Amino acid sequence: MGDPATKLTVVRNAAEDGFISAWAARRDALPGDATVAKARTEAMARFEAHGLPNRRVEEWKYTDLRAAIKEALPLSDDDDASVQAVETAIAPLLATGAARMTLVDGHYAPNLSNPETAGDAVLVTPLASALEDDAFAAAHAHLPTVPQHDTTVALNTALMTDGVAIHVQATPERPLHIVHVMKAGTPALAVTRNVLSVADGVSVTLIETYVSLEEAGAQVNSVTQVGVGANANVRHVKLQAENRDSTHLASWVVDLAASANYQAVQMTIGGALTRNQVYLTFNGPDAEAHINGAYLQRGNQHCDTTLVIDHIHPGCTSRETFKGVLDDQARGVFQGKIMVKPEAQKTDGKQMAQALLLSEEAEFDSKPELEIFADDVVCGHGSTSGAIDDELLFYLRARGIPEKKARALLVQAFVGEALELIEDEEELHGALMALAAEWLDPKST
Amino acid sequence: MGDATLTRGTYDMLEIKNLHVKIEEDDTEILRGLDLTVPKGEVHAIMGPNGSGKSTLSYVIAGKEDYEITDGDILWNGESIIEMSPDERAASGVFLAFQYPIEIPGVATMTFLRTAVNAVRTARDEGELSVADFMRAVKEKAGELNITMDMLKRPLNVGFSGGEKKRNEVLQMAMLEPSMCVLDETDSGLDIDAIRIVSEGVNALRSPENAFLVITHYQRLLNYIVPDKVHVLSKGRIVKTGGKELALELEESGYKDFIDEAA
Repeated sequence: MGDPATKLTVVRNAAEDGFISAWAARRDALPGDATVAKARTEAMARFEAHGLPNRRVEEWKYTDLRAAIKEALPLSDDDDASVQAVETAIAPLLATGAARMTLVDGHYAPNLSNPETAGDAVLVTPLASALEDDAFAAAHAHLPTVPQHDTTVALNTALMTDGVAIHVQATPERPLHIVHVMKAGTPALAVTRNVLSVADGVSVTLIETYVSLEEAGAQVNSVTQVGVGANANVRHVKLQAENRDSTHLASWVVDLAASANYQAVQMTIGGALTRNQVYLTFNGPDAEAHINGAYLQRGNQHCDTTLVIDHIHPGCTSRETFKGVLDDQARGVFQGKIMVKPEAQKTDGKQMAQALLLSEEAEFDSKPELEIFADDVVCGHGSTSGAIDDELLFYLRARGIPEKKARALLVQAFVGEALELIEDEEELHGALMALAAEWLDPKST
Repeated sequence: MGDATLTRGTYDMLEIKNLHVKIEEDDTEILRGLDLTVPKGEVHAIMGPNGSGKSTLSYVIAGKEDYEITDGDILWNGESIIEMSPDERAASGVFLAFQYPIEIPGVATMTFLRTAVNAVRTARDEGELSVADFMRAVKEKAGELNITMDMLKRPLNVGFSGGEKKRNEVLQMAMLEPSMCVLDETDSGLDIDAIRIVSEGVNALRSPENAFLVITHYQRLLNYIVPDKVHVLSKGRIVKTGGKELALELEESGYKDFIDEAA
């Protein structure tokens, strides 16, 4: 603490100091024009002022990042990987036939990407180039701005190296797939920013997959900004399957125009610590958002889902269904905030968070928050946690199904309810269900 | 049907000897020295007042873990099954039709049936059924029970009516080809038409090679599934055994005599 006559000095930990020095050392080499450089400087100032979020920050009560992150890993350098290694890592999703955009250690890898297979409907620009381009910034001025109070997002703005900027101007024939690969053999930091802009009336599916090719634990900080045009339909699916030594901070910032339909599914299997944040704003009336998630965690894994749904226009519907399966000492966190502003009459907002605890030491923390300032709305939330129901288990076993298989069937059924949202995309749905089955019985594959 | 002397093998099918059972973590004894033998090819009915131990008996035969057997034994073809898990018992031919079939959201009825059939066939060294053979068998048996393909696509028992749930139990029984079927108050909650459909399904499965234990509170079901013997269960013991006419007597006089007798 400083002298009372001077400003209080912030006591920082080694990780915070590390991120600040990484920025100082790399700031001139990071991509972007003067506007971007200014945004980076301001973001770093916010990070310097507040540091990593800790348990005294309400939104981070159950996930104390200052305690969890002991050091800042070195910002990764441009790297390359073999097509074969990448395809092996995302093998379950190959059947979706998606156009692929690959980021290796936080940098766009053109030789591992084939966005052209999505046709003329889709314009893809590596973010590093887009940040240098005034025309790009002008064309995407309508995209949602990132929240200012969140210092993990500030860190992303300050340090982002690359990513993918996608403009969907007509409905493409195939899904789009951003593959985020960590390949560094030593622990490294990757900071990426993706942008998805969807024109009015267009339908598109975007998959984001995060995988590790090596055992080294990484720090991944990823932000995806999504602007959905009027009457557009967007499917947004995220799979976190990184190694179990990685720290993964992912934030989606989503704006929906009038009558847009947004369906999101997040599945988390990997990571030592995962925080999935979604900031969603209804920017026009009569739009609909479904955000579902399934996370399967064991050992000391920690998975936090934090949603902030902002209803500022009338007649919008939001639904969130999250299912966690927690074994050993794993911990699941769900924080769901629904805000209904005075103008947002006829809002229909509901959320449900459930956890299946496979061990007595597993833990689930759930915190719903409803802030309602309109009077003609329907809002609700629910949360449950518990072990596998013995009555269900006995019924299956009484029909000859051995205990292990019966448990697996019940866990898959539990997780399956969150994935039902994308049931009509058979390859994608099938891949996620298969990953859940594999998680339950790693030896069977 | 029911001429046991012609078909009986080396062993009776089910032999329950001096069975004492209490609920785990509770000192209340539910079954208190129950003796019962059901030979192959026969249908036996167990009747009794509420609280006499009827459902406990069915659960203990199927292997539910909430009960503790403090004395006695359950023999199945001459071998004790009380150390066997529920799935091992199912594989060896025991089938319990539940009084309240469980709803399992997220598990399609068809998926469940196929998993169960293949698990039991694997345990019996019969090999899994091909998808085509399985579908053929399901369609045929479901049709006889008036179960539509649409029902089979729905999550197990979720949103099924009482009659649909019980017909689904009989379909599972038909698919798993058990040799010892325990029906726990299958008539409860069913109207007369539903009882007829379920009973016809059960009767179609009767053969010299299997046995049925029909547990019921009311005589009505036994008009449709005609038993070879009727046992009266009261306070955890069989207190009287007779032919099918015993069920009619009970319908007239009620259980009052037996409750007093056992007490």
